[in-house]
Amino acid sequence: MKHNFFIRYFLLLAAQILLCGYFHLTPYIMLSILPAMVLCIPTRIGTPTAMVIAFLSALAVDFLAEGLPGINALALVPVAFCRKTLCGLIFGSELLVREDSFSIAKYGALKVIFAISVVQALFLLVYLWADGGGARPLGFNLLRFVCSLAAGVLLSVPVTHVLCPDDR
Amino acid sequence: MPGRGKITGVIVSVAIFMALEIAALGMLKGRGPMQGFFISKGAHSVMSVLWGGGEKVRGYFTLRKTNEDLARENFELTRELSAYRAIAERLKTDSLCRVFPAAAGFTYMPADIVKISRNTQHNYLIIAQGSEDGVIPRSGVITPRGVVGIVDEVSRHHSFVISLMNSGLNVSARLGKEGAVGPLSWDGVSTSGAYLREIPLQYRFEPGDTVYTSGFSSIFPADIPLGVTGESRIVNGATYEIKIRLFQDFNSVRHAIIVTNPGLGEIAGLEQEKGGSKQ
Repeated sequence: MKHNFFIRYFLLLAAQILLCGYFHLTPYIMLSILPAMVLCIPTRIGTPTAMVIAFLSALAVDFLAEGLPGINALALVPVAFCRKTLCGLIFGSELLVREDSFSIAKYGALKVIFAISVVQALFLLVYLWADGGGARPLGFNLLRFVCSLAAGVLLSVPVTHVLCPDDR
Repeated sequence: MPGRGKITGVIVSVAIFMALEIAALGMLKGRGPMQGFFISKGAHSVMSVLWGGGEKVRGYFTLRKTNEDLARENFELTRELSAYRAIAERLKTDSLCRVFPAAAGFTYMPADIVKISRNTQHNYLIIAQGSEDGVIPRSGVITPRGVVGIVDEVSRHHSFVISLMNSGLNVSARLGKEGAVGPLSWDGVSTSGAYLREIPLQYRFEPGDTVYTSGFSSIFPADIPLGVTGESRIVNGATYEIKIRLFQDFNSVRHAIIVTNPGLGEIAGLEQEKGGSKQ
């Protein structure tokens, strides 16, 4: 299964491009599974490599779907930068020592959802700011953040299941 | 050794992170005007914090020099201020000229009073302007507070002025702006008292009404305020004699203005020709 990670990753990346290109539900919701995908990058892969992967993935989305080059890259690289630290804090340092992957079955839904929420929040904070957040009312930005976070977390749970299936 | 490797790893990660973020920002700034604005704003904030902090530190260490510069500048400014004050004092008489509106045909010239008598019935003044300054006999001498006198004789650098505090001098005056006209003369007692005479009985006035020059004398322009009315009495059952409190107190007069009517000679010639009497 581990050998198939990047195939699934690319498929999900394609899904994200489609998502950005075709699923504009409302201005209050910005759907992205990229943070969850980055979170799921195996811990054996170092932070610099993960950041480059995140950067290139985000650029692909930016160029092929978003139309604003750099915006996803800007928001996703910090997620990759914090990924290992976050995994260590939420799932415990053994995950990093064993260079294992997390899953709902191993660590429980609550921890996984919490981790997804944190990376989604981090991603959305940077994304919304870069998307001209200062030019819009605070209420709009808050509502957009909350709605996007909720939708993103809901969408990201199956993504983590796809990328980090339970091997047991 | 593993610790050093870890530190190196962190440094490399941070460097890559920064490089990627800068690259993303660069791309973002180049494409969207709004993004460009916000990113520039953010970059300027960071720069202002960094550079502003540096400036604060630098400013702290240069305080002594700044204080010295300020002290030197303060000294220069004080010296300049003293010079300007001296000039302003010299030009004080000039500024008096601006108090009066330019009456048609009259010219004005500042004058310094160098001598003044107050204790006789025929008081006079000496002013430090003479024929070389353009003063001619029968010019008026005034201040913003009223009439001072009339130039009687002129030398090259000085002029002799018959003061209003001279029982032989009368000035044509008017009650209010449009009231009766009569001769105003010194009361012979105080330095700010006078009488307005020959006011017909049909004219009504109240104590405190202002008296102005009438403009009929060809020496003084019209509407120079002279003083205010006080008590009055009827003289010979025909006219009023009104006590006037002059605005100009002769105890305090130092600077004056010579007012000259360039057409005075022509008027005087006409009067002589037609047998008109002098004022």
